[in-house]
Amino acid sequence: MTQSLRDQARALGLDRLADEHLAQLERALAAMARHLERLPRDLPPAQEMALIFRAKGAAE
Amino acid sequence: MSELAFLGLAEASDLLRRRRLSPVEYAKALLARIERLDRRYHAFIALAPERALAAARQAEAEIAAGRWRGPFHGVPYALKDIIDVAGLPTTAHSKLLIGAVATADAAVAARLAAAGGVLLGKLSTHEFAIGGPSFDLPWPPARNPWNPDHFPGGSSSGSGAGLAAGFFPAALGSDTGGSIRNPASQCGITGLKPTYGRVSRRGVLPLAFSLDHVGPMTRTVRDNALLLQIVAGHDPGDPASADEAVPDYAAALGQGVKGLRIGVIRHFYATDMAGDGEMVAAIEAALRLFSEDGAEIREITLPPLQDFSACGQIILAAEAYAVHERWLKERPQDYGVRGRERLLAGASLRAADYLQAVRWRLKLRDAAAAAFREVDVAVTASSLDPACRIDDDEALARTYWRQARMPFNVTGQPALVIPAGFAKSGLPLSLQLVGRPFSEPMLYRVAAAYEAATQWTRRHPAGLA
Repeated sequence: MTQSLRDQARALGLDRLADEHLAQLERALAAMARHLERLPRDLPPAQEMALIFRAKGAAE
Repeated sequence: MSELAFLGLAEASDLLRRRRLSPVEYAKALLARIERLDRRYHAFIALAPERALAAARQAEAEIAAGRWRGPFHGVPYALKDIIDVAGLPTTAHSKLLIGAVATADAAVAARLAAAGGVLLGKLSTHEFAIGGPSFDLPWPPARNPWNPDHFPGGSSSGSGAGLAAGFFPAALGSDTGGSIRNPASQCGITGLKPTYGRVSRRGVLPLAFSLDHVGPMTRTVRDNALLLQIVAGHDPGDPASADEAVPDYAAALGQGVKGLRIGVIRHFYATDMAGDGEMVAAIEAALRLFSEDGAEIREITLPPLQDFSACGQIILAAEAYAVHERWLKERPQDYGVRGRERLLAGASLRAADYLQAVRWRLKLRDAAAAAFREVDVAVTASSLDPACRIDDDEALARTYWRQARMPFNVTGQPALVIPAGFAKSGLPLSLQLVGRPFSEPMLYRVAAAYEAATQWTRRHPAGLA
């Protein structure tokens, strides 16, 4: 297990992970990195997720 | 006994109402069958026989006194063990929750109890509804009744396996990235992921808030519509609950497909990923059948399957990590291998990545909505392969991701999986029907037409029929 992975886990607060768990963390982060490669980075600034308030809900 | 085992919800309901079937005898027969056979399939984590028989006796007395509550009165059912039932443990199939007894009913559990249903027990799942079949948890994983050496799908594994094995006519599952529809595909049963917000999730352990759905699992389409009728509806206790009117889900069941515009999202199973030959042939045969029955088939195009998958997995990982962070930090050793690895995926995600994924999701949702304006319903694959062996780690790792279910967790659209025949191996094939938000009646209409024409749902696993 590399020291950098241990350091990364510790920085994430995951300092109770055993060696086998760290190997899992490494695989999990690699799998997530593949998903992140597809994430578009050029979405228009105005494309936002709105937090919507409705009068009906507020009144009840 | 096999007649009672594979009695559908609608048929059972009719017999119970007319007092041709005793709720007590029905529950006893199914409990005895489960005791005898479930050691092979592990659909249940825990049976609740005393509670079941008490509910059955009450149903019997009420029906005899003329106080019939409706089509679920006296009907046995079971719940995925992430759904709270007051007084029973909710384990999520995990060591972390052993001994955690629920103090209140989940909204769906309360609705089923109020409808007079007879809860038989709690069902196997993947740990915390994520990961895959695991042999390092306090309970063994469920197995596929069509071949116990094979994976029953998941994470609502016990719901799918128990229905295929004839243990009950109705169950609830949950679906965050396909967990109702995967066991429906692999076990040859009918599973609906309703529109997001259609069914309350209050009292159901969350996996990923914005992707989680609770939905009905049955053997037939009509039964599914009846079960959705009971659990659908607004719940102020669920922040995502939709305040939309609940239609009659069975109203359009006999109307056929003539004149409908049925889309096909072929690129999901033909080019984005290449589906198994038998699975693809079954879907194409269904499209021919719809065409022969007077539907117009139109090919529609959505963004690539891989885009939906990546977007959904980033959101799922981030939200699930938010739920599990404390346990992963304090008790990582108490997770099973598969669940721990999947949940750790969210450990280092940046806030910006999550937010970009949420913003991307809106674009994907809008693209799907535009495509669905051209059709009344669309057909695509659910699983791209029949079930693999449960002990084949390599095949599990490969086939687990070969699916077209996550797109509709991302968009929130309703999606129904039904049996579509059998592979040469004898394992079930399936197809998925997808609609616009809140168009569940249309999904049931089309599915019922297909079911009536093919009658795959009349077949049961060898040795269990």
